Amino acid sequence: MKLSDIMGHAGLSMYAQVALVLFLAVFIAVIIRTWAPSRRREMQDAAMIPLNDELPASRGQES
Amino acid sequence: MPSPTGHAAAAPPRASIGALLDRFSYDDDIVRKFLFATVLWGVVGMLVGIVIALQLANPVFNFNTSWLSFGRLRPLHTNAVIFAFAGNAFFTGCYYSTQRLLKARMFSDGLSRFHFWGWQAIIVSAALTLPFGFTQAKEYAELEWPIDIAIAVVWVGFAVNFFGTIAKRRERHIYVAIWFYLASIVTVAILHIFNNLSIPAGAFKSYSIYAGVQDAFMQWWYGHNAVAFFLTTPFLGLMYYFMPKAAEGPVFSYKLSILHFWSLVFMYIWAGPHHLHYTALPEWASTVGMLFSVMLWAPSWGGMINGLLTLRGAWHKVSTDPILKFFVVGITAYGMSTFEGPMLSIKSVNALTHYTDWIIAHVHTGALGWNGFITFGMIYWLLPRLFQTEIFSKKAMEVHFWIGSIGIVLYVVAIYSAGVTQGLMWRAFDETGRLAYPDFIETVLKLMPMYWLRVVGGTLYFVGMLIFGWNILMTWARRPKTYAVPVIEAAPLQGAYVPAHDEGPAPVGLWARFAAVRWHRRWERAPLLFTVLTVLAVVVASLFEIIPTFLIKSNVPTIASVKPYTPLELAGRDIYIAEGCFNCHSQMIRPFRYETERFGEYSKPGESVYDHPFLWGSRRLGPDLAREGGKYPDLWHVRHFENPRNVIAKSIMPAYSHFLRADINFEQIQRRVDVMVMLGVPYGDAVTRAPQLAREQARRIGAAIAEQGGPKDLEGKQIVAIIAYMQRLGQDIKATATASAAGGN
Repeated sequence: MKLSDIMGHAGLSMYAQVALVLFLAVFIAVIIRTWAPSRRREMQDAAMIPLNDELPASRGQES
Repeated sequence: MPSPTGHAAAAPPRASIGALLDRFSYDDDIVRKFLFATVLWGVVGMLVGIVIALQLANPVFNFNTSWLSFGRLRPLHTNAVIFAFAGNAFFTGCYYSTQRLLKARMFSDGLSRFHFWGWQAIIVSAALTLPFGFTQAKEYAELEWPIDIAIAVVWVGFAVNFFGTIAKRRERHIYVAIWFYLASIVTVAILHIFNNLSIPAGAFKSYSIYAGVQDAFMQWWYGHNAVAFFLTTPFLGLMYYFMPKAAEGPVFSYKLSILHFWSLVFMYIWAGPHHLHYTALPEWASTVGMLFSVMLWAPSWGGMINGLLTLRGAWHKVSTDPILKFFVVGITAYGMSTFEGPMLSIKSVNALTHYTDWIIAHVHTGALGWNGFITFGMIYWLLPRLFQTEIFSKKAMEVHFWIGSIGIVLYVVAIYSAGVTQGLMWRAFDETGRLAYPDFIETVLKLMPMYWLRVVGGTLYFVGMLIFGWNILMTWARRPKTYAVPVIEAAPLQGAYVPAHDEGPAPVGLWARFAAVRWHRRWERAPLLFTVLTVLAVVVASLFEIIPTFLIKSNVPTIASVKPYTPLELAGRDIYIAEGCFNCHSQMIRPFRYETERFGEYSKPGESVYDHPFLWGSRRLGPDLAREGGKYPDLWHVRHFENPRNVIAKSIMPAYSHFLRADINFEQIQRRVDVMVMLGVPYGDAVTRAPQLAREQARRIGAAIAEQGGPKDLEGKQIVAIIAYMQRLGQDIKATATASAAGGN
């Protein structure tokens, strides 16, 4: 018996749908996290990174 | 917090802060190298594009040589513009922006140079092998196995350098552009390795380990994601860095850019099967491909809008700043091609457009508009910074912009028209229910005015490219004697994360801790984990889509009468591959009446189980050949290959008169049969005596040609092998029909 025979009879057709649901769940988690109000300042800072990259670091990491 | 003081080289030493800051400089030399390579290969790749455009308008431009014919130059064009022009452009921007976004010099200057010279060596080896017929016959993965290994090695060098730079970065947050680069680097590695798995049958010859349906599936999983992760995500990374730079303001919405990123990573990898609608691919796979392609519409447009709205408050600059003009048209082209892509992936639309020039127009909106114009805008922005002088001619930039834009419009409008014309003519029936254009050549000749217009459009774009190159050279000539190397100061990262803002008291309780999402912030600062998650998204999606076709038997029903090619037919098939015939001829008849009327019974999955690699093709500049066997006598093929105009007055096919002169290498056939046997093709007694069997069959065909009144000395020539292959195509399934008819009687 070949591997393809075993897999053919294993009834795995559901797995693709399960994967889809998992992907959707992770994706929604990403959206929630990105739009969380607590992250607003951080996002604004991140957006500015390309604009101050020729300057010395300036964002409070010197402690 | 130190105040911004510009380059620290000019700043007075500050003992108190200086003790805490690292001093370093960026490696811009590597950026300049990649920039020059971009321009050089852009000129070469586009020039080859014009040559093949001319060949389609008039076959005289094939010059009756094997190595300059369309089938061999077309892969050279696509590889040159994708991997050489767009590839080097991505590396240019990537090396410039990565160092600055991470506030660190590249991890290893040695690896940077290894990447540069290695990549250029790969491009040169592509240019030296493709015109001579060394090809794997997979679109955008044509290069043979030794070059594939070199690509993998150089890519790993690039990846190590890139991840090393992330590891030694001085900026805590990894900006979204870096995410796009990172996803591109890991995904391209996965795609490249799995699609190119093959067994060598010589120094520059190999057979794909996959066959037929599975090979087609792997190829278009690769093919579509090559577009996604070589031409889209890297350039989106460039957009998210250089667009704010040019507009002098932050990206419109950083949150949207994150959503854009994850949507593309989750969805793109599923979209490949839309290249195989109505073929012998299982329908479920094709439907999944369509659904994800349509879903891609939303994030792609979200990203496009995000790019364009970065110009908020700066729109007035667009009319005077050619750099912004390039970016605006580039991003608009991204919007147009990502609108069109999902539309073309809808099955009913695809029924009309598949195999036509519409697809060629679609990719050129993307390549010329999106990749080209983003590259031009980015390089013009970089010129004064890299060469530390003013751009030589701003007027030339304007001329480049307009001549390039007009070139794109002429090219795509002409080729859209050609595509729609083809599609409609192929499916037209007259009032008696017969094909309105039964001769395929009618549908080709109708396109000639459009093909000439494409030559004009392409030439305009190419002239723009020359102006671009000239402007760069003139700017470079005015560079200072030695480049100033600014010293940058930045604080090293602390071992532990210190939040930039007060996060308030720690949340209490499980739900509160989850909802505060601090746990996730810790994740995203771990680049390794981030990479693992990206790879997981890509690999899981790929496995769920691809593995069932390999492991579920009912997806590829076998046909008892389908047998392996004879040794001579295999040799003929290798010639078909070497000449790049699959660039113009499909071998996959779709189950539509207008296709079966024209070409014969539709193609079944079981018919290509021994096809390593599959040769279904993606375009019909000539008729489908899946049922070619037995349609014409051998002598017709001799005359046709010698000069297609001998038998079809206005054919645009190149002449293959060298088939009548070149000898078959009979001894080589044994090794090729041996590799096929290793791949599981049941070859029976050919395992030990392939050359002998091939000689016997060649003698029979040679005699048949002589009997039909043709030349008498052809039995050892390549023409006999390719005719053996042609005459075999589609015959096996007829054997079933004959057998069952006989059984019924």
